[in-house]
Amino acid sequence: MNDNQPQPETAKGDNACIEGPLVNGVTLLEPLLTLEDVCKEFLMNDGTTFVALKNLSFTIKNIKDKPQIVSLLGPSGAGKTTALRLIAGLDAPTSGCVLITNGKGLRAVEIGDVGVVFQKYPLFEDLNVLNNLMVPALNAGMSKAAAKEKALHYLDEFDLVKQGLAWPVQLSGGQRQRVAILQQLMKERHFIILDEPFSGLDPVNIMNVIKLISRIANQHTLNTFIIITHDITSALAISNHIYLLGRERNEEGKAIPGSRVMKEYDLMQEGIAFHTNLAEAEDLPRFAEIRKEIKLIEFPKL
Amino acid sequence: MPEKTSKTSFRHILTVYGQVGALARSSLLLIWLALFLLVWFINPIPSLPNPFEVVQAFGKMYNTQGSGGLVYNVYTTLKLNLVGLLYSALLSLLISYLSILPILQPFNKIVQWLRYIPIIGFYLVFLTLFTIGWPMKVAMLTAGMSFFLVTSMTAVIESIPNLKYELARVLGYNDWQVFYSVVVRPNLPQMIDMVAQNAAMGWVMIPMIEASNRTEGGIGAQLFAYNATNQLAEVYAYLIIIGVIAILEDGLFVLLKRLLFPYSVIAERA
Ligand SMILES: Nc1ncnc2c1ncn2[C@@H]1O[C@H](COP(=O)(O)OP(=O)(O)O)[C@@H](O)[C@H]1O
Ligand SMILES: [Mg+2]
Repeated sequence: MNDNQPQPETAKGDNACIEGPLVNGVTLLEPLLTLEDVCKEFLMNDGTTFVALKNLSFTIKNIKDKPQIVSLLGPSGAGKTTALRLIAGLDAPTSGCVLITNGKGLRAVEIGDVGVVFQKYPLFEDLNVLNNLMVPALNAGMSKAAAKEKALHYLDEFDLVKQGLAWPVQLSGGQRQRVAILQQLMKERHFIILDEPFSGLDPVNIMNVIKLISRIANQHTLNTFIIITHDITSALAISNHIYLLGRERNEEGKAIPGSRVMKEYDLMQEGIAFHTNLAEAEDLPRFAEIRKEIKLIEFPKL
Repeated sequence: MPEKTSKTSFRHILTVYGQVGALARSSLLLIWLALFLLVWFINPIPSLPNPFEVVQAFGKMYNTQGSGGLVYNVYTTLKLNLVGLLYSALLSLLISYLSILPILQPFNKIVQWLRYIPIIGFYLVFLTLFTIGWPMKVAMLTAGMSFFLVTSMTAVIESIPNLKYELARVLGYNDWQVFYSVVVRPNLPQMIDMVAQNAAMGWVMIPMIEASNRTEGGIGAQLFAYNATNQLAEVYAYLIIIGVIAILEDGLFVLLKRLLFPYSVIAERA
């Protein structure tokens, strides 16, 4: 994330989400990330192929003056982590392509373009917390002074000052998650994908992570966060767009192999995105309606 | 730390990983040592010299001056041991770290296979390549230990989880940065463990190497000579010295690891 660039007006202190109640009718600009008919097959141990993703397509467009926070929502086994690995460039799709903006147009994604917060929050165990943040910035060519300043700033902002000299093994689960997220932000880039950032957290901590992600996301209009989750409420609370990932069923109700986008929700159009107060957002009638729809109608079908 | 255990608490010595006080722990060690000594005193095996004979042999050898003496021979062997450890550690680190390059993987594999061949089988090869005496001994020990060290060290590198490489890659690290951050730096403490484990292998080889290179003496040469003349008390005196040196070296490695890589000790306890 580039702190030096002019920040949108939305970036403000603690409750960094935009002022005012709801935002509607926002201008969409150029595409930032596109999946075109992405298929992913795995060769299974018995020699058969397993189709995990089939013709998965979606496009994340730049929203004027706002960051993009997109959720890939689906039950476990729907192929969310598989999609994450393709989007991050860690694996190549069997067919189709993942394209990402380079400022002028779209090109095939390369490893390192997209920051990844893995589900297990790996860190460099032999570096203390401060160095876990500084070294990635130094390796990306940042000066030592700038890297240190940025790292210390993050530690201060996200309540980790006391942990600066701690080894990763000495961190609590929540602290480790924060360091893992911040580490991915040390390199100057706008794309971050997070695998199940809410799993295993209590409700208070889920709210804290949502706040943390929106706060960081709001620091730049090009910031694009893709959140992989099976937590419907959290996805609704944090995103401005949700893609439901799942499989179609035949007449007998059996799942047809290959997940794709089964439904999408544009939460800006629905008027429940970019809300200042997340707890209040949950009380909006539309929020509850969509949650109910996904939970009772859409999810059971997937 | 769970609840505090008193220093002398013996209460949990029969519990699975029971908490035993520090004083109690040392007492247990002493009790076991005493048991071993007792068995030795009773001496069920006739060919074993009794403790008094061994102590006598110690005194006699300690007071002998020059190349037949204890001090000279222990010094000679210790020097060989340490130099061999240092060279083989450096060489093996290089070979095992470079096993990440496909071009060097077959070479690495062949080095690992060589550990099945008794190093003494290459006696003539070493004799041709190195001057007999110190250079040849160092070369044999370095090579012999490296066959084992490369095997252990390469296993450490092969067990690095894929996730660690992926973390570095998604942070945009280049090949060199991945190599340093994922392969080299985080595994150094484990490499010290590997050197410590294989140091024992060195002590198996040293007597053989020194016995086949007797000009400079050393414990191996002495063992060979005393065995030939059936002076078993002297033989056992040297064996005890080897044991004591090995235990001290082991402690030294632990200390080295703790000083150089404090996080690794904390991580092991976590
Ligand atoms: N490397 C792999 N080899 C074979 N099958 C895999 C592999 N990775 C994932 N799968 C399969 O793909 C499906 C989707 O997995 P995953 O993407 O992990 O789901 P999710 O993250 O949504 O829970 C699962 O059925 C899983 O067994
Ligand atoms: Mg998953």
